[in-house]
Amino acid sequence: MPTLLAASLLLYAFGGFGALVLRRAETAAISVGGLTAALAGALGVLAVWPVLLSGQTLLYSTPSLLPFGAFSVRIDALSAVMVIVISLVAAAAGLFSLSYLKGSIGIGGGAIAFFTNLFVASMVLVVIVDNAFFFVLAWELMTITSYFLVISELEEEAVHAGFLYFFIAHGFSMLIMIAFFLLTVQTGSLDFATYRAANPPAWLASIVFLLALFGFGAKAGMIPIHSWLPRAHPAAPSHASALMSGVMVKLGIYGIIRVGVDFLGAELAWWGWTLLVFGAVSAVLGSFYTLAERDIKRLLAYSTVENVGVILMATGIAMVGLATGQRLVAFVGFLAALYHILNHAMFKGLLFLGAGALLKGLSTRDMTLMGGLGKRMPRTAFLFLVGALCIAAIPPLNGFVSEWFAYQSFFITGYGPGFAGRLLGPLAAMALAITGAVTLSCFVATWGAIFGGEARSGRAKAARETPASMLIGMGVLALFCVGFGLGSPLVVRALGPAVAALSNSASLATADGLYVFPANPRFALVSPPLIAMLMLGLLALPVIVVGVFGADRSRHIVRRGAEAWDCGYQHTGQMAVSPTGGMEPLRFFFEGLYALHRFTVLFHRVAAAGLAGLTRFAARIEPLWDRLTVTLTVDAASGVGGRFQALEMGNLRVYTFYIFLALVVVLLAVAW
Amino acid sequence: MEAASSILLGVAQAALLFFAAPLVTGMARVIRAKFHNRRGPPLLQDYRDLVKLMARAEVIPGEASAVFRVTPYVFLVAMLLVAASIPGLVTGSPFGPAGDLIAVLYLFALARFFFALSGIDAGSIYGGLGASRETTLAVTNEPVMVLALFVVAARAGSTNLGAMSARVFAGPDPAVAATLAAMFAFAFAIFVEMGKVPLDFAEAETEVQEGPLIEYSGRSLALLKWGLHLKQVVAVALFLGIFFPLGASFSLAPVPLAFAAAVLLVKLIVVFLALAFVENTMARVRFMSSPRVTFVGLAAALLAFAFSLAGV
Repeated sequence: MPTLLAASLLLYAFGGFGALVLRRAETAAISVGGLTAALAGALGVLAVWPVLLSGQTLLYSTPSLLPFGAFSVRIDALSAVMVIVISLVAAAAGLFSLSYLKGSIGIGGGAIAFFTNLFVASMVLVVIVDNAFFFVLAWELMTITSYFLVISELEEEAVHAGFLYFFIAHGFSMLIMIAFFLLTVQTGSLDFATYRAANPPAWLASIVFLLALFGFGAKAGMIPIHSWLPRAHPAAPSHASALMSGVMVKLGIYGIIRVGVDFLGAELAWWGWTLLVFGAVSAVLGSFYTLAERDIKRLLAYSTVENVGVILMATGIAMVGLATGQRLVAFVGFLAALYHILNHAMFKGLLFLGAGALLKGLSTRDMTLMGGLGKRMPRTAFLFLVGALCIAAIPPLNGFVSEWFAYQSFFITGYGPGFAGRLLGPLAAMALAITGAVTLSCFVATWGAIFGGEARSGRAKAARETPASMLIGMGVLALFCVGFGLGSPLVVRALGPAVAALSNSASLATADGLYVFPANPRFALVSPPLIAMLMLGLLALPVIVVGVFGADRSRHIVRRGAEAWDCGYQHTGQMAVSPTGGMEPLRFFFEGLYALHRFTVLFHRVAAAGLAGLTRFAARIEPLWDRLTVTLTVDAASGVGGRFQALEMGNLRVYTFYIFLALVVVLLAVAW
Repeated sequence: MEAASSILLGVAQAALLFFAAPLVTGMARVIRAKFHNRRGPPLLQDYRDLVKLMARAEVIPGEASAVFRVTPYVFLVAMLLVAASIPGLVTGSPFGPAGDLIAVLYLFALARFFFALSGIDAGSIYGGLGASRETTLAVTNEPVMVLALFVVAARAGSTNLGAMSARVFAGPDPAVAATLAAMFAFAFAIFVEMGKVPLDFAEAETEVQEGPLIEYSGRSLALLKWGLHLKQVVAVALFLGIFFPLGASFSLAPVPLAFAAAVLLVKLIVVFLALAFVENTMARVRFMSSPRVTFVGLAAALLAFAFSLAGV
């Protein structure tokens, strides 16, 4: 339903500009922004629902007024999945922001709401436009709006992270433009429809794929071009971090799939293998890097790198399946990839919102200053636990089901005929197993450090339960996390058309009754709903034993409030194992894996020095820039909130203008 | 109805392992005592401990949250579900919906998640250290299990535990070396999962091995201890179900099932005897040098995989 989707987009825009107009009355602006995002998200889901289920592609296009071709919209099943991912997280983040952004009153809460809504709208545009020019435009809009969200809190670190993000994003989006340019040279048009029919020679297709892999991979946070991600995502307001980490990285994966599979047909097997290897490296290293963090939001950002790796692995194996004609591998691989895209958006969104709740309650992201919050914020603790269990792939929750499908795609590759598949499939499964175990360690330590044990600071002691509207935003995502696990037979059916279209085959059966299986129940089958039911049923056994042998209710004495036993020494909270200490053995055992980490840190120092030089240079040659940055600092120092939006607007105009200019030049050159 | 009877059988198998677990671990205690030239506890001591603890008063640390309270139940339920899903009494997997190798490994992960979390939640030193060890060892152990079992799964063309068990049961296999190496690797991984190597200490079990237990008392301690007994038995039963399915029943008739139950118990006892011998003759290592030991499993799994690729 293009009208519904257009309505959803307009609503985002309306809410965004409404928030901007109302920016003096910040409370109203925040409410407008948040509520419209929630409503528009719901509309977006409704709009693409029929496409998702039917798998029919919707096309819509304006007459060709511009030299770059028509503004054409194409909603296929893949776009529908992406729109649903975007909309669900956007709606939850919108609800969450209603009271979360109250903390930003005075530093431009209204502007944040404006950029958030525009950011979401641009992401929806990215997945539905069908023309390279408008794609790049939407992509840039997405980058710029998210950049402003990153720097919105105006801390020095955030501004730094913002610069890094801005330059890396633009550097790598050049690769995307070059990829499109190469295809356009082939077809003489900027329409994606012609790209699909282009059929370029293998060497050119390989170049285009590699350009897309790195161009989009940078946005996805693929190692080794991930280093901006754990800096930029955490700096944004938490509901925006949820959108960036939960959703925006997926658009990088979307781009890789769109170019590699949709345009180029995953022609050569080595593309898939390359993706698989990059994915495995991202997954394993990303998970290990989470262990070194004590900043909760940075930890979650590294965990995004890891999950992107898992999705890339599944996508890679699916592309191998396509290239080698193993239909089943392609089908199960894409199913795992799309399912994990959906799931990761839900639980990472939930966890980032949880981090936001903590940040709001304690004014810190440092986990070593938390502790003991399980008793003080029981609902937040419970919702965060749901997210942690999902991300650790605990059955029968959603993370388990999608990782299970990923395992199956690797195993089926391992049963297959080719030697490469028989070697690399099982090794990929092994990488996933390591990742899973490290993730579990990490999230046990994280939950324990935040909510378990004794409060380790005055702030933690004084913490109160999170306000209801924030809990609702988290609760919505937690419900989806549980629902996408228990309802997995329905989810795999709903994803069927999208997966079938990608794997270029008829839709294979993946669910029967309460069971899900990788197209052939003989390979494996599992039933999350039955697992949940039997878990409840088996609970009877210990309960009966307690009933028979335990003291009866009146005589069962429970004494609370005792101190922990430390072999007779006086217990203090300081004696408990710190979050970093608990993870020390893993860092010690796998010391070698951190080499790249140290290298990227070094790279960062160099890059930061370079950036600083660049900034100085820019400041010298460009008085406008100079004036903007100077007033920016003055503004922050004097704490005059209202002026900030005006500045940002100034920045936005300048940036868009530059980028627009660059685009026009490039595209005019192409058009010739 | 086919499904209903198989679920019933799964529950029966879970109940059997649940109630037999303290017997098997009690026997392990007796044997260990013999190795130490001690007289040791009576065979049924673990039952007595559990029953006594059930009726005792409970003390809960002031810092603990709800996680601490629910962990014994979650732990037991996860282990019972594994017990219901592995091939034991019958040749197939009784409870198919979870009878998948990945599902079973992640059910172990569920138990580990809460066990470790309760240790941190209680806020004690030993709890936190125990939690850290518990989750750290899994990082090297989990890939070993996945790879070793994949070698068998590749023979069977399925990750269903019942199908894998049937494949091994069917006998002569061209890839004997691969299956044997996988068996060794998986046995090793099970040994680590049970907490026998590389860290176990009879003399300081609570502080070193069962760290997260330290703050538990009364009924919760009884349940959690029972859960740990069950985990040991289930881990061995999983190994037996895949690699030594001999004696399992082909039908759901009562006589073969009763026979299968007896055989399963005998097999468990034999394995625990062998384990007792190994664990009492092996030196313990410092935790920080434990990878030297755990990498043996990894090497064996990789060897099995290489054999499997070569088809020998």
